[in-house]
Amino acid sequence: MTQYVGQAMPRYDGIGQVTGTTKYVDDIVLPGMLYAKCLRSPVHKGIIRHLDLSAAERTPGVVGVLTAQDVPGQNIYGASGDQPVFNPDHIRYKGERIAAVVAVDEDTCMEALEKVKLEIEEQEPVFDMFEAMKPGAPIVRPGTTHNLHEYMPGMTTRVIKLGDVEQGFAEADLIIEGRYQTTQQDHAPIEPHVSVAYLDPANRLVIHTVSQCLYFHLSQLVRVFGLPMSQIRYIGGTIGGGFGGKNDIHADHVAGLAALKFRKPVKYRETRREDLRYSGKRGVFVMEYKTGVKKDGRLVANHIKEYHDTGAYGGFSAYATEKCGMFASGPYWIPNILVEAKTIYTNKVVSISMRGFAIINGQSTMEIQMGKIAEALGMDPWELRFINAWRDGDMGASRYIVRGAGALEAMKKAAELAGVQLPAHLMAMSSRRR
Amino acid sequence: MREVLYYAPTELTEATAILADHRDKAAVLAGGTDLLPKLNYYEVKPHALLYIGRLGLSSIHNGSSALTIGATTTTADLATHHLVQQYAPALAQAARLSGSVAIQNAATIGGNIANASPAADLVVALLALDASVRLLSHSGQRDVHLADFFLGPHLTILQPDELITQIHVPLSPGKTEFLKLGRRKGQTLAVVSVAVRLQLDGDLCHDARIVLGSMAPTPLRCRTAEHLLRGQKITTDLIHQAATQAIAESSPITDQRATAWYRKKAGEALVQRALLQALDKKEVRP
Amino acid sequence: MKQQVLTFILNGEEVAVLVTPTETLLDVLRERLQITGPKRGCDDGECGACTVLLDGEPVRSCLTLALTVEGRTVTTVEGLMVKGELDRLQKAFYERGAFQCGFCTPGMLMVAKSLLAKNPNPSRDEIRSYMAGNLCRCGSYEEIIEAIQAVAAGEY
Repeated sequence: MTQYVGQAMPRYDGIGQVTGTTKYVDDIVLPGMLYAKCLRSPVHKGIIRHLDLSAAERTPGVVGVLTAQDVPGQNIYGASGDQPVFNPDHIRYKGERIAAVVAVDEDTCMEALEKVKLEIEEQEPVFDMFEAMKPGAPIVRPGTTHNLHEYMPGMTTRVIKLGDVEQGFAEADLIIEGRYQTTQQDHAPIEPHVSVAYLDPANRLVIHTVSQCLYFHLSQLVRVFGLPMSQIRYIGGTIGGGFGGKNDIHADHVAGLAALKFRKPVKYRETRREDLRYSGKRGVFVMEYKTGVKKDGRLVANHIKEYHDTGAYGGFSAYATEKCGMFASGPYWIPNILVEAKTIYTNKVVSISMRGFAIINGQSTMEIQMGKIAEALGMDPWELRFINAWRDGDMGASRYIVRGAGALEAMKKAAELAGVQLPAHLMAMSSRRR
Repeated sequence: MREVLYYAPTELTEATAILADHRDKAAVLAGGTDLLPKLNYYEVKPHALLYIGRLGLSSIHNGSSALTIGATTTTADLATHHLVQQYAPALAQAARLSGSVAIQNAATIGGNIANASPAADLVVALLALDASVRLLSHSGQRDVHLADFFLGPHLTILQPDELITQIHVPLSPGKTEFLKLGRRKGQTLAVVSVAVRLQLDGDLCHDARIVLGSMAPTPLRCRTAEHLLRGQKITTDLIHQAATQAIAESSPITDQRATAWYRKKAGEALVQRALLQALDKKEVRP
Repeated sequence: MKQQVLTFILNGEEVAVLVTPTETLLDVLRERLQITGPKRGCDDGECGACTVLLDGEPVRSCLTLALTVEGRTVTTVEGLMVKGELDRLQKAFYERGAFQCGFCTPGMLMVAKSLLAKNPNPSRDEIRSYMAGNLCRCGSYEEIIEAIQAVAAGEY
């Protein structure tokens, strides 16, 4: 085996990719296959007052419709277990699924969807998380009194604490503040979300999925379908890019429900535009930093207020907020850290996982803060980073001991590649010792 | 399901008869690069599709006073055709910078005009070249200056029974340039585009055209800026004044590609650059 | 909707297929003929995954109305192999890992094929410019450029 180490090997499945024979889920076409398309909310927030699907159902070629009433198990999915497959009443974001039409082809589905009579009592939405935190703001989740995620009942701030920041600020020669925002971002894999579902001869529900995490999703789907896990064959493995976006269920619930109800193979796929407009995104983060530093460049305290917009549902956001906070001080030894993080609901699409899982949001903002600190100190930004970079044995925000640190070595390599000559005292530094 | 009729006539009289029959219920299809996204996403639901790719309108001819370009000539052909490169280099450049290779192979000059996007690359160059279009219907034909053709975003004077058949590009002397700024270099819609033409008489400017794309509801001729240059000795100062004036005539919007503020800043720089670069270009001589 | 017969040359063989007037070439290839090499990435002409050669020139099959290809010649990634042998570009993409998920690969290969037919020795900039309409979200652009350069250099 060792002969392969360090060698570039062709991919085991590469011949399929270059010949176009690899079967992606949308490449599956089954005899008698039906197609589904979803009715989505045209408004950001409101209450469904009337839904009449009868004309859609009578459209020639339509096999039937699906609503919340057709969910045999619980009408709930999502990483936080709070999203309805089909929303029966309180709309929380524009594009939320309300019903599906199942027909012989997608043209017929679209024709039928035009005949749906939908009345929604529109309500004032809130899109900005700071607006959402103000008293009297529109409430995103019906039945609650505020828009903050509760980490435990009543606990709306997630605190991560190392040392004592107040003591650190007292020791600091300089305190630098900064406020930074990262934007919403779509995964946009070239393969849109798609699912094919059917019942096999043993009456098991077979689903061809583009899921990035089959077992997470299987546990959500058994609840939706009201089936034991043994009754679902969940087939994945070939996906056209995901980047964290396919850690969420986008199509399997709809295709599966349709196959169960109509007992025919069903394909449900989202268009590129549906995906871009309505699927989960990397959420907006606002990071407020207050950093204490000694004149010689040593960081002594970092107080971070973190705000993460989760959109209309929980998604992976509570977890992403924590992860972001844990690493929002960068790869730097700071003895006193206080992170106060909030996850806020707004009437936007759901925030889910995406590459780096929110760590890069906090790390990139910390790097901007480092630039600001170097400027305030009149210090070379390389020097500031080298002085503070993690060495083995340092401690991170959530009290993890750093082992196998490599920030210094990575920075030396980056300097080399960028043609930057670093002074000898920096080049002499090592992650193995301070 | 809705019935849609498909026609692919080989005779112009047949095509105009079909249009006269179906009028605004028909969609005219050439390269499809603007129509097909709308069809695929159910944004248009025509009763009839009239494919004009078999009418023999894909040729480029050199007349005594103008280039005649068939309406279904592709952008790829415009980019590489020797007559276009020789007599309308700004049009060839606009064609090269529009869309990707696969789009250029399908997109047509007539389609770019009929679609009437404020960002239409070819139209910006054509306006600087004083082009006109020939419109044919069952009842007759008319020639219209391109400058009089557009009414607003995706709105034109084209009647439902009319077809663009030809584009006439006068063979007029001058130095030209087309520049485009997008979010990326390849396959991009213009944040700002500029076409200029300078007709020089020694070091005096005899006549000028300055056209902006993506800076107004339609591609825009900046007539006051052009007037500033006319009859004057071209200096760097004058070019700066003309660029400032051109932007003053524009009314850009903020959209997903850029803010209005950025468009004005970048547009001014682009007009300056286009005028300066045009001065260094070889003069087109009919 | 009323169907009509569409006849064209697909990967060297004449095919006749029933289609409706609003179907795209991509619809017909994928859904009716099970030629699933060309991928549906956007149906909007933006991503390039559906690119095929029409009379030798790359076009978006999602923007090509099927009936307009009557009598014309269409080549998809399925038509690249000759007598069971991988095309040189296929070999180079495979051996150099010029993809991750592979969803953009069929479109990339067709555009690269057309590039080398026109310009057997393209510069890096010429490759970048010619391939600009094909998106790879995994970010394998460097390997794609290198694979095309390797083919041009006669390494395959």
